[in-house]
Amino acid sequence: MTEGVAGQLEKLRASARERVESATDQKALEELRVTLLGKKGELTSVLRQLGSLPAGERAAVGAEANQLKDDVFRWIAERMGGLEAKRHTALGDTEWVDMSFVPDPIRRGHLHPLTLILREVKAIFSRLGYEVALGPQVEDEFHNFEALNIPAEHPARDTMDSFYVEADDLLLRTHTSPVQIRYMQSHEPPIRIIAPGAVYRRDATDPSHGSQFYQFEGLVVDHDIRLSDLKGTIEYFARSLFGPDRRIRIVGDHFPFTEPSIGAAVSCGICGGAGCRSCKGGWLEILGAGMVHPQVLRNGSIDPGQYSGFAFGAGLDRLAMLKYNVSDLRLFLESDVRFLKQF
Amino acid sequence: MLISLNWLKEYVDIPVDVETLADRLTLAGSEVERITQQDVDFEGVVVAEVKSLRPLPGSTKNRIASVTTGRAVTEVVTGAWNLAVGDRVPYAVPGSRLNDRRIDTKTFLGVPSAGMLCSAIELGLGADAAGILILGPGATPGQDLHELYPRDTILELEIKSNRPDLLCHLGLAREVGAIFNLTLREPKIPKTRTTDAPDLVRIDSPDGCRRFVGRLIRGVSVGSSPPWLQARLRAAGVRPISNIVDITNYVMLETGQPMHGFDYQRLKDGRIVVRRARDGEELACLDGKTRRLTSRDMVVADSERAQGVAGIIGGTESAVQQGTTDVFLEAATWEPRSIRRTARTLGLRTEASSRFEKGLSPALSLPAVERAAALVVELAGGTATTSTDVYPVPLRPITIELSADRIERVLGVRVELTDAASILERLRFKVERADSLLRAQPPDFRLDCSIPEDLVEEVGRIYGYDRVPSTLPGARTPVRDLYERRDADETAREVLAGRELNEALTSSLVSSDGTPEIAMPVAAPLLVRIKNPMAENRDALRRSLLPGLLEALALNVRQDQGGARLFELGSVFWKAKATAVEEPQVLAIAAHIPTGGAEAAASELRSLQATLATVRDRFAIPSTDFKQAEFPSLNPGRFAGFHPGRAGEILEEGDPIGIVGEVHPEVLAQLGLPGRAVVAEVLFDRFSAGGQRTPQARPLPRFPGVRRDLTVVIRSKTAGHDIVQVIRRLGGYTLREISMVSEYQGPQLGAGARSLSFRLQYQADDRTLTNEEVSALQQRIIEGLKERFGAEVRS
Repeated sequence: MTEGVAGQLEKLRASARERVESATDQKALEELRVTLLGKKGELTSVLRQLGSLPAGERAAVGAEANQLKDDVFRWIAERMGGLEAKRHTALGDTEWVDMSFVPDPIRRGHLHPLTLILREVKAIFSRLGYEVALGPQVEDEFHNFEALNIPAEHPARDTMDSFYVEADDLLLRTHTSPVQIRYMQSHEPPIRIIAPGAVYRRDATDPSHGSQFYQFEGLVVDHDIRLSDLKGTIEYFARSLFGPDRRIRIVGDHFPFTEPSIGAAVSCGICGGAGCRSCKGGWLEILGAGMVHPQVLRNGSIDPGQYSGFAFGAGLDRLAMLKYNVSDLRLFLESDVRFLKQF
Repeated sequence: MLISLNWLKEYVDIPVDVETLADRLTLAGSEVERITQQDVDFEGVVVAEVKSLRPLPGSTKNRIASVTTGRAVTEVVTGAWNLAVGDRVPYAVPGSRLNDRRIDTKTFLGVPSAGMLCSAIELGLGADAAGILILGPGATPGQDLHELYPRDTILELEIKSNRPDLLCHLGLAREVGAIFNLTLREPKIPKTRTTDAPDLVRIDSPDGCRRFVGRLIRGVSVGSSPPWLQARLRAAGVRPISNIVDITNYVMLETGQPMHGFDYQRLKDGRIVVRRARDGEELACLDGKTRRLTSRDMVVADSERAQGVAGIIGGTESAVQQGTTDVFLEAATWEPRSIRRTARTLGLRTEASSRFEKGLSPALSLPAVERAAALVVELAGGTATTSTDVYPVPLRPITIELSADRIERVLGVRVELTDAASILERLRFKVERADSLLRAQPPDFRLDCSIPEDLVEEVGRIYGYDRVPSTLPGARTPVRDLYERRDADETAREVLAGRELNEALTSSLVSSDGTPEIAMPVAAPLLVRIKNPMAENRDALRRSLLPGLLEALALNVRQDQGGARLFELGSVFWKAKATAVEEPQVLAIAAHIPTGGAEAAASELRSLQATLATVRDRFAIPSTDFKQAEFPSLNPGRFAGFHPGRAGEILEEGDPIGIVGEVHPEVLAQLGLPGRAVVAEVLFDRFSAGGQRTPQARPLPRFPGVRRDLTVVIRSKTAGHDIVQVIRRLGGYTLREISMVSEYQGPQLGAGARSLSFRLQYQADDRTLTNEEVSALQQRIIEGLKERFGAEVRS
């Protein structure tokens, strides 16, 4: 009987060892663990016979049995590890996915490039404390022209040929500058606004002109505003929009509603300022500006003796064309989705 | 404005190269847009005199010219017909070179032709290809043509409209002098006595003419002008005509004052009357057209008829021509607004009118006449009489005060008063120093300076804006209602782009008769018309964004981009009263269904509603509802352009603020849009009126909720919205959410029936709801729906 239990243990050791070694996958090994060590397993049933052994033998055979149990545990764990490592090695073949193939990006709607450029412009000026002011697109002659020192038959009207609507003296605004007047009339300084929007001129349509286009206007009125403030603002704006390495050039200019008047150009990003087909001698004109004319301040009910201000205006379409490399202004109003989806 | 560098150098020595000159002019406000080298490249071309002309035997076009360069006479075949015996012309002798072309002796119809006679374009001296370049009496036979036509550089400038004084060589020389601090050599103009001889010149309409200066020169002989003068005119882009006309043009390009010469013998009674035209008065103009004038137009007339449109164009009748012996020179100063108005009505822009429109100084008139008279006597002979100068209200000089503080307050840089004074003096201002002030009197040729800021600009642009520091305005203003509206725009855009809609911008200008009748019902019924459209199909302002978006869908279909989905946020224009136009902000969406299936369109319509609901839920709107549009029987006009069974109004607290629906097949056909389209349009300001919704957290439920489904079968046109209202009312306060999960209409239900399945979520904050409790509520809802709608309900 004694011989029997010890012998069974010995036989089990040999067979267990062999069966563990020959298991070829983790599932089989798991089943083997149950077969050998489970509640109804082979080793367990051998152990159950320990009670029938004489007390003197029980300890030795018991130790032997426990040793076998530990060994089987270890063998299974080792074999398990070996199989796992093998599986890992094989993953490159068994679970291969073609990662060179990239599916289309998740579809989304695209915002209009003029929305995107306006967002950038607003973000830049909001960092400087500007707010957004809006004005009507159907304007009267006073706000669009007269209050801006452009009386009837003034030569400046040549460049701003207007669409008149059926109501008397109403026209489609030719620039965003009338918002200056409206805002000054309804707000006390300090004033710091940008005013974006559509403007209309009776210009023939070509790649860089259209009868409907987009501008934004800036106006700052406060005590002690100087041209140096305007210059610093233009530089901050242009570098924020086009990059810190751009140079900015300020030249003399003329607008009836500013005195002095200046023009601003940014160095060309294509040729770096050397001069190329896309620019004028290395410079890209981006905006017109100046110190608000004292009469314009008065027209806006602001005392030029107490306050001074600067104003600037730029074409949003032009900025978008420069920044996003758009070659034809007409694309902005065509709503061709092949164009819109590029933004 | 074309400026000849050679001409400019006559008045001023330019200390820098032409590129630097251009840069400095640009910085000071006169942009140099282009610099071109005259394309003059010839060698061995000399002056020859035509001795005789005879036909080339066998040719109807060509002639044989015998020419001499001072020694021998040679024969040249020429095809030009503007030659006359005695003319002096450029002669490319055998062995000479024109650009890359070597000139040799060639034989025409058996006659050897030794070299060739040249036109202006062949020599690169201008665009004139009309005939051989006639050099005029100043050219000496045998002289190298390079002596007469030195190579020139042409600057093309954009002169700002406030500086007409720079539209001439002398004016630009003054500007260059001021920039580089140089001394000028101005042409000497002989001063003569003047009278205001009213028997010769009379101004009847002084409101249109500030000054009229005239001078009669008798005994001139009209011919061609000398080469130097022609060279200058050509460099400045003006074609030489005859010595008298050339002189008037030359003086304009030199001094900025437009001039005109009359054949005095042709002026009736030898008188000049400056007056308004008579209504309907006609004048044959120098450009060959006869114009009918009105009493708004100024004319220069003789005692009987108009002889020229003042400041714009002369008349043919009194034009200087071959054989004219007595010339009356005119240099007047016209009222700019009157000139601009007449030029615009006549549709005629001339060199003279575009100058007068900008407002020329009357101070230019007298010296211009004196200068021109001297040139006429020198180049065309004759005897000048006394000048007549009618100048009712002479220019009064003004004085402007300026302090260094003022300059600093405007520019943000300290320019010392002595430096400012020096700049102004260089610009010909008369400057007086008085303590901490200077008093400056603008030069008489400039009318654009009247306030201290004007002086600051003069100082600033010459001092250099590159020397002004860069600062930012000091204290930041507090932000007032910053971006409230923008946030709404941006929030909507974010949602819409997330729903795979692309943002479009369409034209505000639409066609008054070609635009399909589709708009939200609250839109103004009529379009606001444009009085002066550029094109017939752009003659009104849009009252709805929908036609533009639908046109965009059609355009995309033509580009093989069917199924486009677009949105636009923009202004529409509604006529409010006779004199006012409202500009509501509108959000519109349009989606194309290329397959054209009714099911597909219905599902796209639901998706569109979901999109709108998503946008709405981002704003704190009290309540927005969708209501089935009841038509066509009730409201045929209100829902024009929409599918009769597929349109719903968007209501805000009962007020209609927009529409969502499918487009009527007729509208699709009108646009040539295949398939179907669904659209929505809503007053964006009303839709987003509550502003950005600030999320408010609620405690998470502590007790489990109960979910029940409910399927309602109803007659097909019962509004689902009404069913939901009844469910909500009967479900009581524990019914937290009602969502529609499916909608079915089909053979299984039979005709006229429709089933709607809802999922109901019950929840209480203070206890676990029991099954019995919820079942009782469900039963109440089922009975209520049966009673109210005759619905068959399964739960």
